[in-house]
Amino acid sequence: MTAVLIVATAAPKQPGVLVEALERFRSKDATVTVACFFDSEELGIDPTLAEIRTFAVPAEKWDARFRKALERAPANRKIWLHARRSTWLRQQYRRADLLVALDARAVHTVWQMAQRNTRAGACYGLVPAQKALAGNRSEPVGKRLERRVAAAAGIGARGARSAAEQTIRTTLNKATGQRVMSNPAGAWLWTRAAAAPRIPDRLRSKLAVRLHDSAVRAGRTAAGARAASTAAQRISSLATRADVLTKAAKTELTLGHQPSGLHDAIRAQLALADDLLPRDTKKAAAAVSMAWSLSSNRVLHFDRLTSPMSTDPGAFVAPFRASTAARKLSQPRGRLTPAAPAPTDRPLRLLVTTLINDNFLPEILERYRAMPNVEVRFLDLYEDELTRPLALSGSTVMEHLLAGDSSYGAKVEEWLRPHLDWADTIFVDWCQATAALFTLPDPGSTRIIVRLHSFEAFNFWPHLVDFSRVDDVVFVSDHLRDLSTAVLPQLTDGPRLRVIDNAMDLQRYLRSKPADARFNLGMVGFSSVAKDPRWTIEVLRKLRERDERYRLTLIGSNFNDRASKPAKDYGRLLNQDLAELEPLGAVRRYGQTDDVPAALQEVGVIVSSSVRESFHCGLVEGAASGAVPVVRDWPFFAGKPHGARTLFPADWVVESPAEAADRIFAATATEEQWREIGQAAAEHALKTWDWSVTQSGFDRLLLDD
Amino acid sequence: MSNRVAPLPRSGGGQRPHAIYLAIGFPPAAKSSAYRLRETANQFVAMGWDITVITICQEAWEREYGLDHTLSEKVDPRVKVIELPLMREDLETDIRAFSEERSIDPVGWISRLRKREQKIFPERDFGGWRYELEKAVVQQHRQHPADLLISSCAPYVNLAATWKLWEEYRVPYAVDFRDGWSLDVIGGGEAFTRDSVSGRWESKVLEHALAVWCVNDPIAGFYRERYPHLADRVHVVRNGYDEDSLPDVSGRSPDPNAGLTFGYLGSVNFTPAFLESVLDGWRIARRNDPILARSRFEVRGHIGAGPIREANRHMDLLKEAAVDNVSFGGPVPKSDLAATYGSWDALVLMLVGGRFVTSGKVYEFMATGLPVLSAHDVDHDASNILAGHPLWTGAVGLDPHRLADSFSEAARMALKATDEDRATARQLARRFARPAVLAPAVRHLTELVQPTPAGVPAPAATASTGDVQP
Repeated sequence: MTAVLIVATAAPKQPGVLVEALERFRSKDATVTVACFFDSEELGIDPTLAEIRTFAVPAEKWDARFRKALERAPANRKIWLHARRSTWLRQQYRRADLLVALDARAVHTVWQMAQRNTRAGACYGLVPAQKALAGNRSEPVGKRLERRVAAAAGIGARGARSAAEQTIRTTLNKATGQRVMSNPAGAWLWTRAAAAPRIPDRLRSKLAVRLHDSAVRAGRTAAGARAASTAAQRISSLATRADVLTKAAKTELTLGHQPSGLHDAIRAQLALADDLLPRDTKKAAAAVSMAWSLSSNRVLHFDRLTSPMSTDPGAFVAPFRASTAARKLSQPRGRLTPAAPAPTDRPLRLLVTTLINDNFLPEILERYRAMPNVEVRFLDLYEDELTRPLALSGSTVMEHLLAGDSSYGAKVEEWLRPHLDWADTIFVDWCQATAALFTLPDPGSTRIIVRLHSFEAFNFWPHLVDFSRVDDVVFVSDHLRDLSTAVLPQLTDGPRLRVIDNAMDLQRYLRSKPADARFNLGMVGFSSVAKDPRWTIEVLRKLRERDERYRLTLIGSNFNDRASKPAKDYGRLLNQDLAELEPLGAVRRYGQTDDVPAALQEVGVIVSSSVRESFHCGLVEGAASGAVPVVRDWPFFAGKPHGARTLFPADWVVESPAEAADRIFAATATEEQWREIGQAAAEHALKTWDWSVTQSGFDRLLLDD
Repeated sequence: MSNRVAPLPRSGGGQRPHAIYLAIGFPPAAKSSAYRLRETANQFVAMGWDITVITICQEAWEREYGLDHTLSEKVDPRVKVIELPLMREDLETDIRAFSEERSIDPVGWISRLRKREQKIFPERDFGGWRYELEKAVVQQHRQHPADLLISSCAPYVNLAATWKLWEEYRVPYAVDFRDGWSLDVIGGGEAFTRDSVSGRWESKVLEHALAVWCVNDPIAGFYRERYPHLADRVHVVRNGYDEDSLPDVSGRSPDPNAGLTFGYLGSVNFTPAFLESVLDGWRIARRNDPILARSRFEVRGHIGAGPIREANRHMDLLKEAAVDNVSFGGPVPKSDLAATYGSWDALVLMLVGGRFVTSGKVYEFMATGLPVLSAHDVDHDASNILAGHPLWTGAVGLDPHRLADSFSEAARMALKATDEDRATARQLARRFARPAVLAPAVRHLTELVQPTPAGVPAPAATASTGDVQP
């Protein structure tokens, strides 16, 4: 009787096929065993067809050695490690005449079994197994003996090799680990070693990455950067050099640092892109994409209290301006015809488009939908599942722009052309993928308006937009216009630049406040580092040192600490603050609400503690509610021609928590004074930023031009 | 281009001209293309050529769709067949032949293999055969100088060997492109751009081809549009059917009380969802139509290859449908085709793709004289072929309810068809008999290569000197 052993690592997707095969094996007098690396109950197969058992070792029976072996082993070898610990399975594979892997993950286990049972056939798949069973498997004795010797030698050699490799790996890991790299002598020695001549690039790059990683994790970032940069200088391959420097930069970003070698990595990727550009635009695009990915990393701009972009935007993007490949992405392609004037014989066809985020559009859509002389359509590029992927890949857009032509471009054209043909004017909200995609094809005589809010200025998307095909760029504040033009010089030579306030219906915030709201500070939105709620907490502490009636209400969703390591670090400190202040009743988290006007009714002082804002609707809404506004001079823009100080009345803006506390003490000294200052703020907000006032800016933009 | 242009003496001068025929899939491979390849070779022999077929070893086909030695019986004995020891490594199922590296990560290993292969020639699974094929054609040419090379694709790696012989010895060539390469016949549109690696290969090789054969007008149209300057060299050479595959259908009178037998024969190369629609249509028809409730549906052919041979979702669907009198009987040897068709009352033509797809089986189905139920897109080239067939249900797409109606319609046709209807159907198909299709194409190629009685200059004679390009 022939013994067949089938190894399966997951319940087969075609159980019927397995059942039929088992029936065929039985009809040929074969005894079949199915060894499962999953709960054998899942198979649900008639037990008379085969002996079915699970061989996975339960986690509670793992000893330290087994656990360590599993940690080191590649995924599919882990299954064999389980298999070889099963006495039952050992007996089965030793006596089997035919070993069968039911799925790809079981192949290695069967391969190992076949090394130990050299007499058995070993197949992958059920039909090949049936053929093998039907075929004549008798082999000459010499051949079998040869196979047995070779297999035994192989098992021994692999064991010895594996042990030797493991020893070398362990020794090297220890020698280049954090302990050694935290020691100046160790770091110096290894840095010299990594830069020694005649080391192949492949080894030098691995060593450099390992040394950098160990040093940075040991807190010796400078030593790590030195090791990586010194070794990288010795690497002749542009791709390998870029890879080493990028890995080093990424490690530091993961740890929440601004990498010391950030610009070296960006330059290396751009040099690689420039080199590849003439012969392989796909790879060139991948390299530019990596450079942008490094420079737009959220750790640099969004999860810390400073950003190298705001400090010196020109210098930060300088490497991109020096790169041929990066410049090609922004190269103006122009349009065949200029935008046509608005039609006079029929309603204006206005397409308002965005990608997912339509938070700033309801008032605009409502106004123009109500106008008989405007026909409005709305398009969210995310809506259609089929076309959505076209809007989600920056690297594909880069690939297309570098190649000059691609099937991707044709698909975008096919998707957006009907919209371009229909519309007289397209209002693109957010200067991201939507703007890049709508300027990929020639927009013809359709007028293109793009609105840039804030985060986009720190991102790569605006660099993929062809501004020679854009007629107007709208900013929500002067300081965002300043930052954007510093980052995107092409803006100054093409589209009209306008600053139009966000569309906000502020009337609904005017409600009477109870007297005890005077001592209640409020923040609308505190979920990100950029909002810096701890700055407000510091203000609160200063107030409470003198008067414990002051408290703080945080309105909005909780702080998101999952975005990155710095966000996590910030979240930990914020949680410590909250753990201390919430039990005292000094801080209350209001939670997320759809009725912000009601939440603001109990807020007497509205605080904007952000490090970066384009406008800060929450603050303005608070002011409109009659709360006393206190605005931190947003550090990203402080000291520049435009910022919080030019956007708001001078007395709203403060330099420091101490100054904020002083302003609050003064403004809330008496109830009358608090109400008077709050009233003045509300009047200013309403007459400056209410939609009834600001809509004229949009009318001029959309209807007059 | 190489400077090693070394013209060899041709086999002309009173002897038979010699053609090398790159025909991977030649009998006994149990592949649908085997019939076309066999007929092409036989036609060349019949027109006075010596022909050397280059294909791959039989063991390679065992890994894929298997062998059918009855196919070889009709190969002209004068055809010389060379089998190269090439095999698709990705389809290996003997784990003892695996390296440890492959066993640890079979999927990753295949993916790396494909990357390596595509660096050699931009074609998945076959790219790695390039150098062996190049070596084989050059070796053959040295042993027996060729006047013509015919390259039948797929696999497209044949183009590399074709080019090699042209580049080194200026041997004129024709490409039997069948379904084409740069055309996505299933989805329609372009499969790759002209500036891609594949695109550059295609345009380079087609540039100098004496003739480019395609299996239908839409594909030929695509190539004429893509390469306007080659338009007059692009010809439609349809697939056809073989007379010996046809059953005797005269005097049939199926018994409605016993039910009918519907049949499908061919590779199950469509998606599980496609098959599910057809089976759903069958189930609905059985609920609504008492004759169908007593009827059977037999599926024959190949399902899957390598480790997933007959072990995929399609098999599950067919097994689930066993309660509805659906059965799967595996592949049918060529010699049993007529008997198999003869045991059926109506045929279910399941085809993927659209207007660019014809497939070979439509001709065979049509020529049987049995009712044909179309399960494919309405805008499919098969509809053009079947137009006018008196026992065709028409194409209704893949909606199960509409397919159910087609099943009933086919049953009605099977019961009511007269010998005259069947004869008309066969007569309509006659123009697609394989010799009728291939003989003119081979004759045309022969005339292009050899001087004609009218004295038209032969491109081969001049091309071999490298002075003039065809």
